Amino acid sequence: MKQSKKIFCDITKCVACRTCELACAIEHSATKDLFLAMLERPRPRARTFVHFIERDVSHSIACQHCEEPPCMEACMSSCISKDEKTGKVDIDRSRCVACWMCIMVCPFGIISREAADKNKAFKCDLCPDRECPACVDACPTKTLSYETRDDFSRRIKQEKKVYEKK
Amino acid sequence: MKKNNAYVIIGNSASGLAAIESVRRIDKTSNIINISKEPHRPYSRCLLSYYLAGQYNKDILWIRHEDYYKKYNVEGLLNTTVAGVDVKNRALAIAGNKKISFDKLLIATGASAKSVDIKGADKRGVFVLRTLEDAQGILNMLPSVKKACILGGGLIGMRAAYALKKRGINVHVIVKSSHIFSQMLDAEAADMMRQHLETNGIEISTGLEAKEILGKDSVEHLVLDDGNRLDCELIVIGKGVAANLEIVRGQVKTNMGILANEHLETDNKDIYAAGDVAETYDILEGSNNVNQIWPAAIRQGKIAGLNMAGEEAKYEGTYGTNSLDFFDLAVMSFGVVKPKNDVDFEELIEIDTTRRLYRKIILRSNRIVGGVLINDVERHGILLHLALHKIDISDIKYILADEYFDFGKVVPLIKRQAKSFARPEYNDTCATYSPLY
Repeated sequence: MKQSKKIFCDITKCVACRTCELACAIEHSATKDLFLAMLERPRPRARTFVHFIERDVSHSIACQHCEEPPCMEACMSSCISKDEKTGKVDIDRSRCVACWMCIMVCPFGIISREAADKNKAFKCDLCPDRECPACVDACPTKTLSYETRDDFSRRIKQEKKVYEKK
Repeated sequence: MKKNNAYVIIGNSASGLAAIESVRRIDKTSNIINISKEPHRPYSRCLLSYYLAGQYNKDILWIRHEDYYKKYNVEGLLNTTVAGVDVKNRALAIAGNKKISFDKLLIATGASAKSVDIKGADKRGVFVLRTLEDAQGILNMLPSVKKACILGGGLIGMRAAYALKKRGINVHVIVKSSHIFSQMLDAEAADMMRQHLETNGIEISTGLEAKEILGKDSVEHLVLDDGNRLDCELIVIGKGVAANLEIVRGQVKTNMGILANEHLETDNKDIYAAGDVAETYDILEGSNNVNQIWPAAIRQGKIAGLNMAGEEAKYEGTYGTNSLDFFDLAVMSFGVVKPKNDVDFEELIEIDTTRRLYRKIILRSNRIVGGVLINDVERHGILLHLALHKIDISDIKYILADEYFDFGKVVPLIKRQAKSFARPEYNDTCATYSPLY
C-alpha cells in the first residue's frame, strides 16, 4: 500500500514556541483570523499539543492517523473512519454522541472533548481546506513536516549526517 | 463434492460486522451468510440509551448503510433464530427445519440482559434495555410514567436512569451493593459520581434489593427488602448480561462464555467465537474473562474474520474498560480498579473535590494494571496502553497521576523500551528524540 502523508515532528528542532497550537486554533475558528478568533466564543481550540518531554526538550503532537486506529474500533456509533487513500482518520461529528470511547483508547491522548458544541469529540483533521496543515505551514523552525513515513526517516537521517559533520 | 457456504456468521452486531468486513478484505467472492435473530439492519445497542434519552433520533442507531449486505455481498438472514449447531456435520439448524452448512462458523451471538427472579417481574412496565424493542417499549410507555425505578447501579442501569431523567421522569435507582458502579469504579470515585448524580436529581439507594413488584396488570409499586414501598409505573432492570451460548453448549468448551484462543477459535476447529459471547485471555487481569464491551467485540470480530479467511492474526487479549458521561461529568476506568490483596499493589491517587478531578492509578511491580479517571479523562488512553504493553513505568511514576501528565512524558520510555511499543506510530513520535541528560 502506498504510504500516506501525515504530520511528523523533529524533536531536535522544537523550541516549544507553540505557534503550531495557535495556527491550529485559528484554522479551526469561524473567522480564521487571529484577532477575530480571539474574540470568538467558544474560543477556538487547538488540536495539536506542545508537550515537554524533559526540561528544554519538547515536541508537538496531534492525531497520528494510526494504521490500525483504536478509536475507530472503539467508536460505538461507527462515526470514525479511515480513508483508504489518504490515510486520514476522521470523526463524523454528525454521528458523534459524546461517549468518549475514542478518548478512552487513544494511545496518544490527543482527542479532546468539545463541551461547547453539543459535546462532540474533536481531533486533528489534517486541515481539509488546505493543501498542507496549518501547523506545519506556521512552524517557524521547520520542526513539523507533512510527508510520508519513508520520506521523513530518509530526511532526518540525511540531516543528521550533515549536522554531525559540523 | 457438496459445496458448503464458506462462512456463516451468527450475529450482526459489533463482532459480526467486523468479521464480515475483515473476511471481505481477503476473500472477495466466497459465500457469507449473516444470521440475526433480530429483524433490524445492523444497529448499535450501546446507543439505545442515547435514543431513549431523546438526545438523538432513531437514525443515530443505524451503524451501517441500508445496502450494507449488498455492498459486502453477504446473504443476510434477519429475524432468524438458530435452533442449534451440529458441530460434527458442520451445519446449523434454523427455524422452519432448514439446515445451513458451513466451512467456517463465527458465533457472535452476543449476550442477553439478565432479569430478576422476583414476584411480579412479568408485569407490564418491567423492562430490560438490550434491544431496540426494549427501548421502543419503554418509549411507548413514557406518556403514562411519572416515576421509574431502576434495578441495578451498573452501567446499563445508570444509563437508563440518566436517559429517563433527561425525559423529565423521576428516577430512583436501587443498588444491591454498597456503591454504584461497583464493577467499574473504586469506592471513592463511585461516591464522587453518586454525589454528582444525586445533585442532578437522580435518587439512589444502595444496599437494597427489590423484593416484589406489585400492580394489577402493570407496575404500580416496587417493594424493597427493607419493607419500603415505592410508587412507580416503570421498572428497568440493569443487572448485567449473560453470554448467549445455548446453541453450542456441550459441543464446544464453555465457561462464562465460549472459550476462544488467541485466534478466536474455539476448541473445535473452524468454529470461532467473538464479542460478548466469547471468553478470552484478559491482559490486565491475567486470567480468562468475558469483557462485554464494544471495543473488544469489534477487535475480536476483526481478528476472527482474518483467521477465518486464512490470514493468521493473533489477538492480543481482552481487557475491561469503560467510559461514561452523566450531566457533563465524564468518568473512565480500566483494568483492576479494586485490587483484592493490597500487598502486591501500589496506588497513585490525586483528588481535587472542588474541581471534581479524580485520578487513581493502580500499579503492580511498577506496571500499570488499572486506573480510574473522573473529569480529566483525556489521557486515559495513554495509561491504558502503558498497561496493555506492560511497560515498566518507574521512570515516570512521579508524574503519572499528575495534572501535567501528557504523552510527552512517555516518549523517553518508548525510546528505552522500544520493543514493547509495537505500533509504528510510537516510533514516528520518538524517532528524533535523544535524551539531553
